[in-house]
Amino acid sequence: MSFLPVTFLMFLLSAVTLPSEAADSPVAPGYGPLEYALSEVGSYQLPALGKAGDGKVLDTTGRVRRLYDLFGKQYVLLAFIYSSCSDVNGCPLTSHVFYSIKAQMKHDPELARHLKLISLSFDPEVDTPEVMKLYANNFRYAGRAGEWQFVTTESEEKLRPILRDYHQEVQRQLTDDGKYSGAYSHVLRVFLIDPQKQIRNIYSVAFLHKDLLLNDVRTLLQQNRAAEMALAGQGRQKQSAVFSGPGDDKHGYEQLAYQTHSLALDSRRGKAADLMAYVVKPPLGLPKVPVPADNPVKEKKVQLGRKLFFDRRLSLNNTISCAMCHIPEQGFSSNELAMAVGIEGRTVRRNSPTIYNAAYAKLLFHDGREDTLEQQIWGPLLAASEMGNPSVGYVLNKIRHIAEYDGRFEAAFNGRHVSMETLGMALASYERTLVSGASAFDVWYYGNDPAALSAAAQRGFRIFTGKGNCVACHLINERYALFMDNGLHNTGIGYRESMGIRPEKERIFVAPGVSIDVDRSVIDQVGAAPPKDLGRYEITQNPHDRWKYKTPGLRNIALTAPYMHNGSLSTLQEVVDFYDQGGVPNEGLDPLIKPLHLSAQEKQDLVAFLQSLTGDNVDQLVADAFAAPVGDLKKGDPDWVRGTEVEVR
Amino acid sequence: MQTKGVICLLGLLLFLVPAHAATGGDFSLTDQHGKPFQLQQLRGKVVLLFFGYTSCPDVCPTELAGISRVLKLLKADAAKVQGVFVSVDPGRDSPKVLAEYVRYFDESLIGLTGSPSEIETVAKQYQVSYSKHPNPGGGYAMDHTANLYVIDPNGKLFAIVPYGFPPEHVVDVVKEILTNPAGKDL
Repeated sequence: MSFLPVTFLMFLLSAVTLPSEAADSPVAPGYGPLEYALSEVGSYQLPALGKAGDGKVLDTTGRVRRLYDLFGKQYVLLAFIYSSCSDVNGCPLTSHVFYSIKAQMKHDPELARHLKLISLSFDPEVDTPEVMKLYANNFRYAGRAGEWQFVTTESEEKLRPILRDYHQEVQRQLTDDGKYSGAYSHVLRVFLIDPQKQIRNIYSVAFLHKDLLLNDVRTLLQQNRAAEMALAGQGRQKQSAVFSGPGDDKHGYEQLAYQTHSLALDSRRGKAADLMAYVVKPPLGLPKVPVPADNPVKEKKVQLGRKLFFDRRLSLNNTISCAMCHIPEQGFSSNELAMAVGIEGRTVRRNSPTIYNAAYAKLLFHDGREDTLEQQIWGPLLAASEMGNPSVGYVLNKIRHIAEYDGRFEAAFNGRHVSMETLGMALASYERTLVSGASAFDVWYYGNDPAALSAAAQRGFRIFTGKGNCVACHLINERYALFMDNGLHNTGIGYRESMGIRPEKERIFVAPGVSIDVDRSVIDQVGAAPPKDLGRYEITQNPHDRWKYKTPGLRNIALTAPYMHNGSLSTLQEVVDFYDQGGVPNEGLDPLIKPLHLSAQEKQDLVAFLQSLTGDNVDQLVADAFAAPVGDLKKGDPDWVRGTEVEVR
Repeated sequence: MQTKGVICLLGLLLFLVPAHAATGGDFSLTDQHGKPFQLQQLRGKVVLLFFGYTSCPDVCPTELAGISRVLKLLKADAAKVQGVFVSVDPGRDSPKVLAEYVRYFDESLIGLTGSPSEIETVAKQYQVSYSKHPNPGGGYAMDHTANLYVIDPNGKLFAIVPYGFPPEHVVDVVKEILTNPAGKDL
């Protein structure tokens, strides 16, 4: 704009002609081009700062309106002004910045649709609706797109509660002889308010710049879109699937609009599924289920294993079943704990892995120390911090004396009794049926249905196999995809944990949309020291294996948050960010992991792809779990204490 | 339906009646040549009215340069527009000082001053606030409302343009008045 050079010239002129007057406050940055680079839209968070105040105001026609009604369902930039303001870096600055934003709306229909500008006068005596109208007359020239409202109040009395709610201190300036000068002293503040009426940012003079404000608005719009998409996706799933979501689904918890979809356990009555069918004919995109020669999958074994899986008596104190860390409606993992919790609240040092498609894994546990499901089950049964049983014999004896199991092992295993072997075989048989595929990705890729996968997920797949090279470890082939390589890798997560490299602050959500950044030192005061974990090294004692962990499969990954061996990443977005930055550099970092330089869009697409890997039978499998009997301590059981008044539950 | 609309409109009109004297209006002051000036003289022209003072370090030169730019952008239509600068610092701004000052920006500009009470009256009419602030190094600065008041050819205040708006915007406002001389409400 040619106006600026002229202004500059005038500055020089005034400085030359009026040397004694030159010392005045410089004009605010909002009048010029922004002098620093802004963070990328969507790359930062704007946590809610508190509820925006409501109140009764007058519009330019003199009608009484509620502020909240004016806000509507849009994002709002609210400025407190008065029309006779004389401080260039005060009210005129807000008008200047709002004017530029309004002009921008001409070229940005999305902005015009979602953002509203409101100037509220704190001088009701002078700024009558008529005066505000004279002001408002200007703003149609900045283009018809978008809305800029000018409002005032009936009286100071009506204004006061609004000012109080927004912590606006306004004082009349007095002249030397104590008379009201017509001017106010006030601290300039502009508020960014979201459709839930939460204040998301507050701008003072130094930060009131068009580019910054628009960056924030666009960030909120983008994040809201992503959250809406996630919620919509969830909604779609919910229609067909009552069970597959977790009981208390925390998805979107960072949004104020979050509402729990929690279903009471009692209202979840499941329906048994034909589990054998999944083993006989695995879903699209999965290979034949590998079955050991000495443990063919049979209906009776599966049913016995299913009963055992949900039996709390398998733990030392009869409280914890397998299903309590591998929670069916939480992706057969645990969404609410980074690291699992065993009996009596003992901390397990790793994240519960999902049981989905465990049938295909050649390495079990995060460090790959077991290789068959039959053997693996003894790990949690005997771990002191998990189910806490003292010995193999202790577990077998207990089961022998529970009447419900009378004859069950014998029927399933050709007359063989419960033993270290048959117990493992039964549980493994059930786990082997939990295969899940035929996801949107499978229907698109293996079913050749071009409409099955969203455009974003298709783009994400190209990044997965191309620029991101995720496929190097999460393998797929022409006939099926397990997204695992049966290998172990050092991504730096374990290294970071061992070295105690942790952020200074951690964000703690205390209620939907309300979070507090808590200092590390405060958390450390109340938290246990993180357990030591050297990964694969603990098994091999080979220094090269330090901090190596198993590559997990990616099917149903949208259901199995949090991620990584220690659950340290909460969302797929965070996982993608982690790999995008090239993991955590350390001596043993896998050479396949390096910075990817993905754009925000590419990262979003990659997440969309990962979300498309949810199998089509998830709902049936979870419903089946709800139909399974839950084994609980009852009269006649070996641990039942006669005369106990308090039922152990 | 039609009657309802009319009643609604009447209701609206009742609301619109201002509770106090309207902002703006005619006034008398002294121009930069020492001659008496009345706003009525400018009937038929769009007036761009601005309050300031000649020792003003930033706002006033910017705004006056802006007005000068508006006149250039208006080309032939500039003849139907008059820029007027009212001093809120009559103590220092004599007609002679004003004459020196305004011609820096545009030969056609009118500079106005008057007695402190005359200035106060005009400022009140336009709800302009101003106050004196001593400078640390001696002398003083004036704080003042920095709006541009756009008055239509009938002497009615048409729009208040806040400080910092681009001259192109003022041009749009002026053109709107010139093409719509009845001063229809927007």
